Amino acid sequence: MDLRLVRSGAVVAGVLALAGLMLRPLEAPAWRAMRAQQPALKLESIQGALGQGVTVGLLGGFRAIVADLFWISANAAWDQEDLPATQTLIKLVTAIDPRPLFFWINGANMIAYDMPHWRIRAAGGYDAVSAAEQNRFDREQAEVALKLLQEALAQHPEEASLYICKANIQLNRLKDTAAGAESYRMAAAQPNAPYFAGRIYGELLKRMGRKQEAYVWLKQFYLTLPKPGSAQATPWQIETAMADVVLERIHELERELKVPKEQAFKG
Amino acid sequence: MNAPTRTGVPFSFGRLLVVAQNTFLEAVRQKLFALLLLLAIGLGASAQLFREFNFGSSELKFIADFGFGAMIFFGSTLTIAATAQLFFSEIENRTALTILAKPIWRTEFIFGKFLGVFAVVGVFCALTTLLLAGLLFARESALMEAHPEAFEHGRIIHYADVFVAGGLQWLKFGVLAAFTLLVASYSNTNLFTVIMGFFVLVVCHLQYLARDAYAQVASVPLRLLVRLLGYVFPNFQVFNVADQVGMGAGLNHLMALRIGGYGLAYIAIIGVLAVYSFRNREI
Repeated sequence: MDLRLVRSGAVVAGVLALAGLMLRPLEAPAWRAMRAQQPALKLESIQGALGQGVTVGLLGGFRAIVADLFWISANAAWDQEDLPATQTLIKLVTAIDPRPLFFWINGANMIAYDMPHWRIRAAGGYDAVSAAEQNRFDREQAEVALKLLQEALAQHPEEASLYICKANIQLNRLKDTAAGAESYRMAAAQPNAPYFAGRIYGELLKRMGRKQEAYVWLKQFYLTLPKPGSAQATPWQIETAMADVVLERIHELERELKVPKEQAFKG
Repeated sequence: MNAPTRTGVPFSFGRLLVVAQNTFLEAVRQKLFALLLLLAIGLGASAQLFREFNFGSSELKFIADFGFGAMIFFGSTLTIAATAQLFFSEIENRTALTILAKPIWRTEFIFGKFLGVFAVVGVFCALTTLLLAGLLFARESALMEAHPEAFEHGRIIHYADVFVAGGLQWLKFGVLAAFTLLVASYSNTNLFTVIMGFFVLVVCHLQYLARDAYAQVASVPLRLLVRLLGYVFPNFQVFNVADQVGMGAGLNHLMALRIGGYGLAYIAIIGVLAVYSFRNREI
């Protein structure tokens, strides 16, 4: 082996390592800030999909189009009711491009709402599969969907629509009102929350028999809503806030809780 | 041939610029440059046609992603292929012997080659960035007319950020070109240099994953080795600020400056290393 070449290679590697060390103070703050804005740059976000073309997508900068093409494949697999392929492709799409909520929400809904039916049909149909077995399929698929949504929330921690999707799966598939209510509460707490999240949380508290809690919540919630005539709100915001409906529910709760007239909420 | 003696001949920026100018002219005359430029422009412009395939992101974000994707993909290919080709054409045609027999420093030769390639890639980045900005502006204007309620707070795209992102990509290609020259200064063939150039590109993009993966391993020597490798290769992901374009939030310009400084420092260091290795090379 050429000793001069080895020496020269060692010098180059040494200088590069030293340069990397010296330039780290320049790189590290920028890299930290970039990662804070792009959770997809974390190892755990892409390790599940490495070796499946993800690196090509990431390196080429064509993340959006690669994810879209895999989403078409996921829909083709969904059309064939191919559960393993659909689930794998949903995971792959969200790994390639975790930014759009569309993939997370639609993927979770496919897993939670469609796949239990596929499994029942594959097992012989609704008449052949016992109710207990059907419930097991529902529960298992809902858990997979909730796990996917948990990953989504790690990427988009302030996204109300993800909490709402989670709440609906907990309510409709797991029949878990307490968990669904908690997810609606979380949705209502997010900055871009739709007004109905707070209303539904109040309604779920009432349904669980926690009327006093519902009453306190709705009173606080009502104060945050734009009212008709409010100059700061758009007509659409006023319409969707439905402050009059919330006030009506507060009065209903006052009647049920027998709140004295003089202590009644005036708004 | 060993390194030329430089007795009595001071370093000259003029000679360096002559080498750079020749390299630039030679590069733009190559079909590769025209082909890659046309492909990048064609692909970027066709983003409009691919809108039908867009499910996840907003339309403007999709166009921005697609345009920068074309720039990064074809720009990387152009940088590696042009650097290797322009360096080895001098070696294979023996013109390097003629040039270096004259009173010219190897430093001037290497940095001249680098500047020529950097200028070519600069033209490529400028044209693709301009095209992308134009496409975004046209589409955003159309959307503003069709859906004025969605643009209550004005335009979503910060056009200065598009150019900053394009500029940082150019710097990244500069680091890649310097690295390819470093490899070329050791290598004997064009093909080996091109392959190694692509390896460097992949490693520099993914080195952060190795750093993360091995940060927690129990084996101390392995952890130290990966950390050392993390220092040896620059982090190319840090240049990809294009992801923030079209997301509504503007770029942090202080951060962009830091990244720019990082790129320039690497270009200088790797360039000096390429000179060092080229000086030890027999042509």
